[in-house]
Amino acid sequence: MNIKKYVAYRLISSFFVLFGLSLLIFSLSRLVPGDPARLALGPMAPQWAVDKLRAQLHLDEPVYIQYIYWVTNVFRGDLGQSLVTRRGVFNDIFEFFPATFELVIFSVILSTSLAIILGVTSGKYANSLWDNIVRVTSYVGIAIPSFVWAIMSVFIFGYLLRWFPTLGRLSSGVVMPTKVTGLLLVDSLIAGRLGVFRDAFYHMILPGTSLVISRLAQEARITRASVVENLHKDYIMAARSFGIPERTITLKYLLKPSLIPTVAIMGMDIAGSMGGSFIVETIFNWPGLGRYGMSAMLSNDINAIVGVVMLIGVFFAFMNILVDLITAYLDPRIMMKLRGG
Amino acid sequence: MNTELMKERWRRNWYKFSRNPLSILGLAVVLAIILIAIFADFFAPYPEHAFVFVDFKNAKRPPCWQYLCGTDMAGRDILSRIFFGFRYSLVMAVSVLSVATPPGVLLGLVAGYMRDTWVDIAIMRVADVFLSVPSMVLALAVCSMLEPTLYNAMLAVTVMWWPWYTRLVYGAASSIKNEYFVQAAEVTGASTFHILFGEIFPNCLSTIFTKMTLDVGWVILIGSTLSFVGLGAQPPTPDLGTMVSDGSKYIPAQWWISLFPALFIVVIILGFNLLGDGVRDMLAGD
Amino acid sequence: MYAGIIAIIVIAAAGYWLMQPAQEPEPAPVPSEPIVYRSTWAWPTRIDPAVGSDGSSTAAHPNLYNSLVRITPEGVVGPELAESWTTSNEGMTYTFTLRQGVMSHAGNEITAEDVVFSMDRLLGMGEGLAYLFLPYIDEVTAVDTYTVQFDLLKSFGPILTVMPNFFVLDKDVVMENIAEGEYGDLGDYGKEWLMTHDAGTGPYKVKEFLLEEKLVMEKYEDYWGETLDVEGFKFVENAPDIMEMIGTTEPITVRTMMSRMELERTDSWQPIENLEEMVQTEGVEMIGEVGTSLLNLMMHTNKAPTDDVHFRRAMVYAFDYETVVTDIFPHTTLVKGVVNEVLPGYTPDLEPFRRDLDKAMEELEQSVYYDQLDEIEIEIHWCAEVPAEERISLLFMDNMADLGISVKIVKEPWLSMIETMADPELSPNVVVVYNSVHFPEAGGDLMRYHSESAPTWEQNEWLLDETLDQMIEDALGTVDQAERFEKYGEIQEYIYDVCPTIYVLQTTTLRCVQDYVDYPYVEYGEQVSGFVYKVPLGFRTYYGLYTGVNQP
Repeated sequence: MNIKKYVAYRLISSFFVLFGLSLLIFSLSRLVPGDPARLALGPMAPQWAVDKLRAQLHLDEPVYIQYIYWVTNVFRGDLGQSLVTRRGVFNDIFEFFPATFELVIFSVILSTSLAIILGVTSGKYANSLWDNIVRVTSYVGIAIPSFVWAIMSVFIFGYLLRWFPTLGRLSSGVVMPTKVTGLLLVDSLIAGRLGVFRDAFYHMILPGTSLVISRLAQEARITRASVVENLHKDYIMAARSFGIPERTITLKYLLKPSLIPTVAIMGMDIAGSMGGSFIVETIFNWPGLGRYGMSAMLSNDINAIVGVVMLIGVFFAFMNILVDLITAYLDPRIMMKLRGG
Repeated sequence: MNTELMKERWRRNWYKFSRNPLSILGLAVVLAIILIAIFADFFAPYPEHAFVFVDFKNAKRPPCWQYLCGTDMAGRDILSRIFFGFRYSLVMAVSVLSVATPPGVLLGLVAGYMRDTWVDIAIMRVADVFLSVPSMVLALAVCSMLEPTLYNAMLAVTVMWWPWYTRLVYGAASSIKNEYFVQAAEVTGASTFHILFGEIFPNCLSTIFTKMTLDVGWVILIGSTLSFVGLGAQPPTPDLGTMVSDGSKYIPAQWWISLFPALFIVVIILGFNLLGDGVRDMLAGD
Repeated sequence: MYAGIIAIIVIAAAGYWLMQPAQEPEPAPVPSEPIVYRSTWAWPTRIDPAVGSDGSSTAAHPNLYNSLVRITPEGVVGPELAESWTTSNEGMTYTFTLRQGVMSHAGNEITAEDVVFSMDRLLGMGEGLAYLFLPYIDEVTAVDTYTVQFDLLKSFGPILTVMPNFFVLDKDVVMENIAEGEYGDLGDYGKEWLMTHDAGTGPYKVKEFLLEEKLVMEKYEDYWGETLDVEGFKFVENAPDIMEMIGTTEPITVRTMMSRMELERTDSWQPIENLEEMVQTEGVEMIGEVGTSLLNLMMHTNKAPTDDVHFRRAMVYAFDYETVVTDIFPHTTLVKGVVNEVLPGYTPDLEPFRRDLDKAMEELEQSVYYDQLDEIEIEIHWCAEVPAEERISLLFMDNMADLGISVKIVKEPWLSMIETMADPELSPNVVVVYNSVHFPEAGGDLMRYHSESAPTWEQNEWLLDETLDQMIEDALGTVDQAERFEKYGEIQEYIYDVCPTIYVLQTTTLRCVQDYVDYPYVEYGEQVSGFVYKVPLGFRTYYGLYTGVNQP
C-alpha cells in the first residue's frame, strides 16, 4: 500500500463512519420531546405559523423521510435552517468556524511547544527538582476542568490583575481587518495592521490557555515518558560514546523519536479542544462554533446541533488522517510499512 | 495457588504501588472521599442543608468556624453540600463505568477474536462512529436532546464511553488470540465461550482495570462539566458542577460559593488520577 | 547553545511586546474619536422586526426602524412616521397620514405602500409580535401615497397603544434581498437577509452584525427627525456615533468590562450581588426602572386542594411577601392589588394581601380540606432557566409548613413546563411564572385570565369562567379610554374575590451604568426611590438620546 492508496482508504472509511454519525445524531435530534417549531416561534405565535414551520422542516413526516431530505440537501450544501439565528446552518458554520479554528490552532501550538519544552527538559533531567515540579504541576493541571480554569482565569487575570481582555476576539472600536481567511491573526498581517494583530493575540490568551491547560499537562507527561525511554536506548549511548556534543544528541537524535507519541496524541488534542471550546467559548463570549453549538444545544436548535456535530466529525476525521501522515513522516518504520506494503 | 504465593504477590504489588508516594496520596484521598460520600450524613456538619432547605438569615456567610466553607444564597452550608456532592460524583462514575464496561469489553473481545470477519467490521465501525467526535461534544449533544437530569447525563456519558473499552479490548484480544495457549485451546476443541472468557478475557483484565481506575476521574470531569452548563444534575441536588456554575454568578463578592466546590472537583479528579497511575505502574509488566 | 539563548531572547522580547497593555488599538479611520456606547444583552438579538420579540430585539427595533406612532415621555401616543390619524366607523377603521420626505437608509422615500407591505409581512409570517395584531387587523390599504387605512376585524380599544410595536420597512430593499423560501412569490420574505441587515428609517443603521457576538450600529446622519428634543426625536448633542449591543450576560465578564470602562451599560440579568459589587467601582452607578411585570404563583383552581377558595386564601395569607422583596429580590416592590400599580387602569381600591397567619388559619379552618391536611401535598413547579425561582419555591415551602401543608418542589425546564401547563390534568397546583404585559395597560395583564389563555403558560389558574371572559372581551373592545379603565377595575375586583394567584412582587429592572453617560431615564422618568425610576410606559430605549459627553 502506498501513501496515496492509504489516504484514499482512510478517506473512504471516514466517509462511512461519518455516515453512521449522521444517522445517529440525526435520529436522536428528531426524537426529542417538545416541538422545536413552537420553541423557535415563541409561545405566543399562532398555531398556523408553527404548522407552517413544521411543514417547512418536514417535522410531520417519519424520521427516515426527514433523513432522506436532510441527506439530499447536505449534498447541495444545505444543512437546513437554524431555529435560533434563523439563517442557514451552513452559512452560520461557515461564519463561526474560523474563529474556533484559530483558537484551537493557537492553543495546540501553545500546548505542544510548551509541552515539548517541559517534557524534554524534565525527562532529560529525570528526578531532578525541576522534573518533580513539572510532574506535580502537570498532575494538578490534568485534574482542573476547563470551566474551572476559565472562570478562575477571568477572575484572576481579567478582573484582579487586568492583564488580558476577557470577551470576544477584538477590542471594541477596533475595525475588523478585511476578511480573507477569517483568521484574525492572519488577516491582520495581510492587511499590515500590527495593532490589530496584537489586539487579536491578546484576546486569545485566556481562552487559549483555558482550552489547553489539561492537554498541556497530558502532553508534557507523555513527552517526558518517551524522552526517559529513549534516553537509555543504545543509539543514544553510542552517540555519546562517539563524543557527539550533548546538544546535538538532544536536538538531533533524542527529540525526533521522542516526539512521535506527542504528535500522535495531538490529533486527539485538537479534537478535545473542539469539545472544550463549547464551554470555553461560552464563558469568553468567543464568537465561534463552540458558542454557536452550545447555544444551539441549550435551545434545542435541532438543525444547528446536527450541523455542528457533523462538522466537528469531518474536522476530526481529517485531523486524524493528517496526524497519521505526520507520524509516518517522523517514524521511518511506519513510512516503510506504507511504502513497502 | 497457595496462600504463601498469594501473600508474596500482594507484597510485591504493594511494593510496586507504594514506590511512588503520590500513589499513596491518591489512595488516601480516594478512600477519604469514598468514606465521606457513604457516611455523608455523619460527616456533614448540617446534613439537612444538602437538599431543600432555607435560612435566609444565614445566607451568604463567608467561611467561619460555624460554616467552614461558608453558606450559599439560600443559607445552606456549602461544606455539607460538597460532602453530599461527593456521593453524586461517585455514583455517576461508578454507574457509568459499570454500565459501559461490560458491553464494551464483550464487544471488544468478540471483535478481536473474530478479527477480519464481518462481525469485527460491524462492531468496530459502530464503535468508530461513537469515537468520531470528541466525547464531550457527543455527551453535550445527547444530553441536550434529553431532559436535563442526573440520570440522563449518566446515560449520555455511558453511551459515549463503551467504545473506548471496545477499542482497548479489541487491540489486546486480537494480539492474545495468536498466542500459543489460545491456539492450543482451539486445537483441543474448546468452545468459543471458553476461549473468550477462559483464555483471552483473564489476560485483558489488568488493562481493563487500569483504564477503569484512570477513567473515574474523566467521568467525574465530564459529569461536572455537563452539570456546569445546566445539562446534568439539577438543583436542589448537591452536585459539585452545578454548585460551581450557580456560584460563579457571585464571584468575587461571594467567592466561596463556587471556589470550594471547584477545589473539591479538582481534589477528586486528582485523587483518582494519582491512584490510577499507581495501579497502572503496579500492574504493568506483571 | 547560542541558538537557544537567541531564541529565548526573541521569545522574551516578543512576549514583552505582547504583554504591554494595548495602548490605542489602532484608531478607526475617522477624524475625531467616535462616541461609542456599549451595552450587554441576553442573546440572540433578532433585528427583523417581524421576528424578534424578546428584550434585546425590541431594544434594537426602535433604533433601526420607525413605527407609525410612539409613546411620548408624557406617556401618551404621539406621532412618528404618521403625522396624524383619525378613527371612524365606531373604532373599526383607523386612517394614518404619513410624514412626507422620510428617507430610508437606502435612500428611498417611505410611502403608504411600504406600510401596507410591512403589515402584510408581519401578519403573513405570524412570528414575533404579530400575535398582538393578528386577532384584530383585517386589512391595510394604501388610500394614496401618504395615506394608509387600517380596517379592524373587531373593535380593540388599546390599538394605538399596541401600534408602536409595528415597524415600517423599506419595501424595495426587502424585495431586492429575497431568498428562496416558503412564501411563494415572496420567497423567504427577506427573512435571512434582515437577520443581519436592516431596511429601516431609524436613527441608527446596522454597521456590522457579528452573530453570536455583537451588533454594531452607527448613526444615520440623514435621519428625518427635525428637532433635538424627544418630541421630534433626532439626536441629542454628543449622541453616540456607534452603538454596540454585546451578547453576553456572564456576570464576571460583565463586571470585568465595567470596571475597565469597556462597557457603558449592563444587561438586566445581573444578580443583585454582582450589581452591588460593580457599584463599588468608581464612576459606576446603579439604575433601576420600575417594571410592568409581576412574579406570580399561579394556583390551579380546578385541582384539589387549590380548587377551594378558602384554601387558596389561606395560602395567599401565609406567603411571606416581605422576605421576598427584602432578602431575595431587593429593590422590587410589593403588589398592591391584582395588577402592577404602574399600569394605567389599575384600581387602588383593593386591600393588598400580606402575610397574616391568623387570617390564614381562619381561612384554612373554613376550607373543606381542613380535616385532611396530613394527606395533602401541594406541588410547586419552578422554571429551570430562572435559578432565583428556586428560592421563591423554598420560601413557599417554608411558609406553607407554618399552616401544616406539605409542599413538593419540582424543577422543570421551560419547554416541558409549557407542555405541562397545556393540560389541566398535568398542570400542578402551583407554578412560579413571570408574567409580562402585552401592552402597557391593566388589560394587557388581565387578558391572561381569559379562557383562551388557559392552556398556555400564561395561565395555570384554569379559571375557565365565562362571565370573566365576557368582561375581558367587553373591556378590550371599548374604545373610550375612561370607560375601558372602569371596566378593567371591575375585572380586578372580580378576580380579587376568586383569589386565583399569589402576587409575589412587581419587578424592577436593575442595571449598572457608567456615570459619564447621561441617561434618559433620569430625564424622562420620575424618581421613585433612591436610584429607581418610573419611566413612561411604552417609552423605548432611544440610543440617540444618550449623551456620551464626558466619555473618557
